[in-house]
Amino acid sequence: MATFVDQVRELGLKQATIAKVDEAVERLTAGLNVNDIRDMLRGEEPRRPNPRLRPHADGFWLHIRPSFYHTEVTHIYPSFRLGWLSTFMFVWETITGIFLMVFYTPSPDVAYADIWNILGNVPLGQLMRNLHRFGAEVMVVVVALHMLRTFITGSYKQPRQFTWVTGMVLLVLTLILSFSGYLLPWDQLAYWAVTVAVSAAEATPGPPALGENINLLLRGAPVIGAGGLLRFYLLHVLLLPLLLAIFFFVHYYKVVIHGHSLPPGREAIGEDTAKRVPRDERTYFLPDIATSELMWSALTILFLVAGAIWFYNAPLERHANPLVTPLHVVAPWYLAWSQGWLKLADKVFIAFIFIPGLATAFFLMPYFEVGKSRRYADRRLGISVSMLFIALMWISNWMGSPEYLVQSSPDQEVAQELLPQEGHSALKEVPYDFLEPGTYTPFDAEDAPNPYLAAALEEFERAMQQRSCSLSDDGPYEPCQVMDQGDTVRYGNRFTNDAMPDPEAQLIIDDYQDNMRRLTLVFSAPDPQNPGNELYAYTRTGYRHEMSNYEEETRLLQ
Amino acid sequence: MQTKIIIGTIAFMLTMIILGFIALNEPARLEAFSAAYEGRSIENGAEIFVNNCATCHGIDGTATQCFDATGAETGCVGLPLNNADLLCGNRPPRLDAMGWAGTKSDFIEGTIAAGRPWAGMPTWGQQFGGPLQSNELRDVALFVQNWESETLCGGEEVEGPVWPTRVSDLPAGNPENGANIYQVPLGCNACHGLVEDESTANGPGPWLGALAAEAADRKEGYTDADYIYESILLPNAHIAPECLIGGNPSDCPEPSTMLSNFGQRMTEQDMADIIAYILGVTEFESNVDVVYPEGSVAPPAEE
Repeated sequence: MATFVDQVRELGLKQATIAKVDEAVERLTAGLNVNDIRDMLRGEEPRRPNPRLRPHADGFWLHIRPSFYHTEVTHIYPSFRLGWLSTFMFVWETITGIFLMVFYTPSPDVAYADIWNILGNVPLGQLMRNLHRFGAEVMVVVVALHMLRTFITGSYKQPRQFTWVTGMVLLVLTLILSFSGYLLPWDQLAYWAVTVAVSAAEATPGPPALGENINLLLRGAPVIGAGGLLRFYLLHVLLLPLLLAIFFFVHYYKVVIHGHSLPPGREAIGEDTAKRVPRDERTYFLPDIATSELMWSALTILFLVAGAIWFYNAPLERHANPLVTPLHVVAPWYLAWSQGWLKLADKVFIAFIFIPGLATAFFLMPYFEVGKSRRYADRRLGISVSMLFIALMWISNWMGSPEYLVQSSPDQEVAQELLPQEGHSALKEVPYDFLEPGTYTPFDAEDAPNPYLAAALEEFERAMQQRSCSLSDDGPYEPCQVMDQGDTVRYGNRFTNDAMPDPEAQLIIDDYQDNMRRLTLVFSAPDPQNPGNELYAYTRTGYRHEMSNYEEETRLLQ
Repeated sequence: MQTKIIIGTIAFMLTMIILGFIALNEPARLEAFSAAYEGRSIENGAEIFVNNCATCHGIDGTATQCFDATGAETGCVGLPLNNADLLCGNRPPRLDAMGWAGTKSDFIEGTIAAGRPWAGMPTWGQQFGGPLQSNELRDVALFVQNWESETLCGGEEVEGPVWPTRVSDLPAGNPENGANIYQVPLGCNACHGLVEDESTANGPGPWLGALAAEAADRKEGYTDADYIYESILLPNAHIAPECLIGGNPSDCPEPSTMLSNFGQRMTEQDMADIIAYILGVTEFESNVDVVYPEGSVAPPAEE
């Protein structure tokens, strides 16, 4: 082997350097020299023997990727690239998560302050947090869509049944990853959503010791505190990503071994020709698929960055307080369906029989759904059932929201809409300078001193209309439906069975400190049966500091 | 394939441009965020204050108007917080008076956390067994300090005495009215108990029932009315020798934990009525001048 110095003597310095660089590139890419790369980018035919297959055979990074795909599966349909996108999102979450890990300590004493620090002191900290949280929600959606696509194209059928099973494991791991991360900011939103969900563990059937110990295992203590936060953190950054990586590799290995399933109409029924790809229907990974993946990476990153800046804002409520439960605690949206079901039936039945039963059915579905055909026309029942199931999940998600079955008294509900203990409301969208001190009723929107306050008062009126009724015909609200139940009389309207009859409602804005205003909502409704008494009497006070920028956070296109 | 390369490159460039714009705006955003979240802390502090502290300190922190749980007016037993003595500047006078070498916010937060058990203030901090978390303590401290303002601290210094130097220059006192305002709104009974009933004097202030007989002997050259007049206006001028709390001698803390703003909360008639109530006479004799310090901000309340 000629040494570099010999080459220089022979070819001159410039030529020798070029040759050396070429050699280095060929080593790094496990088989492609500079000319090969140039040919790839120019769209030219490869030389023989085809060097573009060598990175797959000899290199580490591409050894698990197929060296060619069937051309039919390289378009958007049938896969919509959702499997690829799921993997991308996992890598994205890992990278953004590592950035956040640098600034976060999983202890209740400092976790919230760390998040505050990330958002308020670390340059681009808010962007990083939004990217991570937005990415998590996108990942849940993408993984679910991938599952739906796999079902619809029948790609779970023989020989790919176990791929489906590992995919289901990945789905469950994704949900638990998202859930474990939910607790980490240690604000009211995180703490109570997780407390409610984990309390299902206490309902474990069997001896009480079992439920107690499972509870302790999850929380590290009878209530979620330092131990619980640390356990959730370790789950979130160590155990679950590790398990996800392991199952991902099994899943992807099986995808490659069996080959990507072709569009259903392409094959004869019952046949699986994915691995037998004719030469003229091959699309090689290098350069076509690689370029495609790089382009989609760039587009996805652009989408995530733009979304995290302009459309998405990760919330931060007040510091977690185990002594104060906010009204309307709700699970994260991807688990709201379970909260909806829990409102319908017994905790033990839902958490330990119904949901596990459903999950088992999903896991084992390829082993009992053994129809030979993957074609849509032959699977009308299955596809209809899946659409029905999706509709059911949408409805279940809505049932998990506070609007369903868990409303408190109407005065408190109106107050919660306008002056919630946590979160946004129409009143918070009014900038501080436009909160003119004064006393306002729900019908003052036209006389409001400015359009912001007018919009808030319109929301006030709308909320009152939904939960109030008028006993006389010419009152401002819907007529009351009087329900005489013997010893109590209830009043309802078109929307609800629990309405305030002829209520007086006021919003009082006054100055409390030089740069802080106080907003007081006062409700009173006399008892028509008992004129001296009040059926509803409720006051809620909120405060608004000049610098609090709630109105910016609620804006779309921030 | 060329199209893909072009699209990918443009997308990447757009991402970099967006990130560039965001990075340029970051310092301003960080500032605004910190201010916004400090504002939210103050709002939270306001809520905690109104729910826990206003019954003793008054809803506006001046300890002039306090209401109990039923809504009836009651005496304010807490010290005024919304005043220049505690809030103005980096080293307000109260810190030196209390011998505190640290910062103003540490003083306020520490007092809330630990309370003043000898003076009737509960312990609030969870680290000492109270109900509030450390972030809540911080929020309340921020809220209290938010009362600092131009109007509070920019007050003009009032030259010379604002109260009559001689107690004999006060109008004639009305003991019956004095008995009423002794409780509401001045709240003297909260610390000193009722004058008629020694068993109600459970501290931290000495029972005043015996004062009528002893007041003239407390300070050299002072008449009884002089002594009481000075003690109300300037609580630190003299600490009772055996400060009786519930009949037991105990060490009374210096400086006095008696509120120092009675001079701002009472009219001249109020003062006369209270002294009349304690001494049982309507006219007072005076031997000495009692001078309300120069530089005090507020004169007696308007009639």
